[in-house]
Amino acid sequence: MNLNDIEIDAVTKRFEDTVAVDNVSMKVAKGELFGLLGPNGAGKSTLTKMLCGMVNPTSGTIKVGGYNIRDNAMKVKELLGVVPQDIVLYDYMNARENLAFFGKLYGLSGGKLRDRIEELLKFTQLDEKAVKRHISTYSGGMKRRVNIAAALLHEPQVMLLDEPNAGLDPGNRLALWEIIQTLHKEGKTIVLTTHMMDEAEELSDQVAIMDKGKIIALGSPRQLIKKVKMENTITVVPNKITPKLMEAVKKISGVKRSYRAYDEEEKIETIKIITERAEDILPEVVSGISSVGSKILSVQLSRGTLEDVFILLTGRSLREEEQL
Amino acid sequence: MKLKRTIRQVFAIAKTDFLGIVRNKTAIFFTLLFPLFFLIIIGFTFGTQGTGETSRIQVGTVNLDGNMIDVNGTVSQNSTIGDVFVQVLKDANFTVYEYDVYGDKDTNGTAAYDISRGEIKIAVVLPANFTETLSYQYTDSLGIPIPTRAHLDLYTDPSDPTGSIIGQQSLLGFISGFIKYYQEIAINQLPENLQDYAEVLADPITVSTSEADVSGRQLRWIDYMVPGTLGLVLLWSGLNHASVAIATERTKGTFQRMVIAPVSSITVLAGKFISSLAIVYISAVIMLASGLLLFQVNLYWNVPAIILAIFLGALSAIGIGLIISSIAKNEEAANSIAVLISVPLQFFIGAFFPLDIMPEPAQIFGEALPFTKLVYAMQDIMTKNLPFEAVMPEIIYLTISGLILFVVGIIAYRLSLKRL
Ligand SMILES: Nc1ncnc2c1ncn2[C@@H]1O[C@H](COP(=O)(O)OP(=O)(O)OP(=O)(O)O)[C@@H](O)[C@H]1O
Ligand SMILES: [Mg+2]
Repeated sequence: MNLNDIEIDAVTKRFEDTVAVDNVSMKVAKGELFGLLGPNGAGKSTLTKMLCGMVNPTSGTIKVGGYNIRDNAMKVKELLGVVPQDIVLYDYMNARENLAFFGKLYGLSGGKLRDRIEELLKFTQLDEKAVKRHISTYSGGMKRRVNIAAALLHEPQVMLLDEPNAGLDPGNRLALWEIIQTLHKEGKTIVLTTHMMDEAEELSDQVAIMDKGKIIALGSPRQLIKKVKMENTITVVPNKITPKLMEAVKKISGVKRSYRAYDEEEKIETIKIITERAEDILPEVVSGISSVGSKILSVQLSRGTLEDVFILLTGRSLREEEQL
Repeated sequence: MKLKRTIRQVFAIAKTDFLGIVRNKTAIFFTLLFPLFFLIIIGFTFGTQGTGETSRIQVGTVNLDGNMIDVNGTVSQNSTIGDVFVQVLKDANFTVYEYDVYGDKDTNGTAAYDISRGEIKIAVVLPANFTETLSYQYTDSLGIPIPTRAHLDLYTDPSDPTGSIIGQQSLLGFISGFIKYYQEIAINQLPENLQDYAEVLADPITVSTSEADVSGRQLRWIDYMVPGTLGLVLLWSGLNHASVAIATERTKGTFQRMVIAPVSSITVLAGKFISSLAIVYISAVIMLASGLLLFQVNLYWNVPAIILAIFLGALSAIGIGLIISSIAKNEEAANSIAVLISVPLQFFIGAFFPLDIMPEPAQIFGEALPFTKLVYAMQDIMTKNLPFEAVMPEIIYLTISGLILFVVGIIAYRLSLKRL
């Protein structure tokens, strides 16, 4: 009996002149929830697509459930449930018709198919009227939910979720987290692709951080954060951020790294200071900022996050492309 | 178990593909109604005029002039002028086929039989007394020639009005030329003081034209065109739809989502094929029904032969569509290539214009198209009411080209999957 549901060995994918996935090796144990974290263009989707046979690797081997995907594609496909990053549904059919179609592709029929459709329609939270309308009339969130439901019909052992949360509002996002956790508890093996560090941190047993096609860190969220010894972050909100201010902060002894970050929820510019001894250096930070003429609006201490790990490893923010 | 599941998958894919058309107004127009649009526009506006070179006109001659005939109580067998007529006809570059009898449509080897099969467009029958009348051999008891006119019978193909008119006009033109030629010779031999002869000499040959008994009824040009539109159905509903069917899904990503399910690529192809066939047949029914309703076409309904011929033609159309689908980068490209191919091709398949009126290279090109063969087969069966055996050459051609194009289509499709 193989204890790993997914084994990726030295897999590379080249598109013309880009190397989307660069010599990646990793394993996902049975029943594990594996977070694949990385910025846009890191190669997460390409790796996911190779896992389900949508894209053929340039080199390397992939095994799912012990089957080599190249030799036993059909066996692998039976095991997998895949939620693509983009919404992939027939927009001229309604939710029920779409689910019935994908259910039949996975060999469901008759009463079993009907039961699964009804169960999953409940999950989509669509009302009966919406269920009868064509997908083209749905909101983004409604489509997302049907997109996910279509991958769950056949109760797959291994699930690949490629940014299933993109475009969902916070309420729906939490609902989906619950579903992912339920699937996890049922013993499914899940690869969850995301570029939201809180999502990866909250849900995953194991996380791989990808950047430019390579896995740059691998481990449990706690381990990763520990490994880079970044237990603390000081988040400061000053009235204005100047280069002089950034310079002053950088000079404070005990500051490992400091950078500007945009807080999306509060919609404000912040300075993040990463340190191993937050309490010790806090007074210096406050005085340092005051000394260059800025006022502090708020200060917050927190433990390190996966985002901090990423920044430490790459010198870039996970979301910097989104800020443009 | 496995087979049942595969069949279910095939039909699910076919149904989904089919709904994609019937629930999309643009798709309905282009894949189902475009040929109808053409039928209506051209059906109501296109005339039956046309000219061609004489060499493209196939004339059958039935020269009875050498037969024995009673002239003034004696048997005459002179065939000089009849032979000259046929020879001059050949010299004038008509394509001439000679027959012994006019016959009927069911007797092989007769002129009527070949008209009914479209081998010749027109037949001319020269009477047994053709030479005798034109050479003053009918005389009264005193030995004085009696003025007599010669009479020619022309028979045309009613199932091909355009071709018939072209043939008839050309032949009448030839006959008036022949008359002038005859008059020059005859005038020198005119017996003295025979003024009655001047009148006959001015108009020595009468001609009557009738339509050959091809199918026992009158056919109009539209009766010939409506079966021809089945060729358009193949182009617009078959080739066009097959071109975009897979390309569209690939662009939208639903194709990729299908192939990550435990569905073989051939199952997907089978589903697409079934739905493409369904669309072709629906479009064919729409076309024929519209012909009946709008133009009251008068056709014969050998339904199994029609279904078979359309199926074989659809193999070619769908095969080409698959090739396009596999080469094209996306839906739009596939659509453009398909339109670029079907728009010009529809003029070369003999659906609206007989290929005979086109320049020779165009005829050769058109004749090579499987769609043209379908048009011919359908016109022979539905318009001329020929038996199935009569269209065997077309059926064989359709089968071979259908198999070749379809197999190439499958290969192209499988190669395109490797590009993932
Ligand atoms: N079909 C393709 N042809 C060419 N290049 C591609 C193709 N698919 C992906 N790429 C390239 O491979 C790289 C990785 O893309 P990928 O979609 O895997 O990133 P990602 O991590 O999923 O990003 P995102 O968070 O934006 O979804 C990118 O540079 C992308 O442009
Ligand atoms: Mg992606």
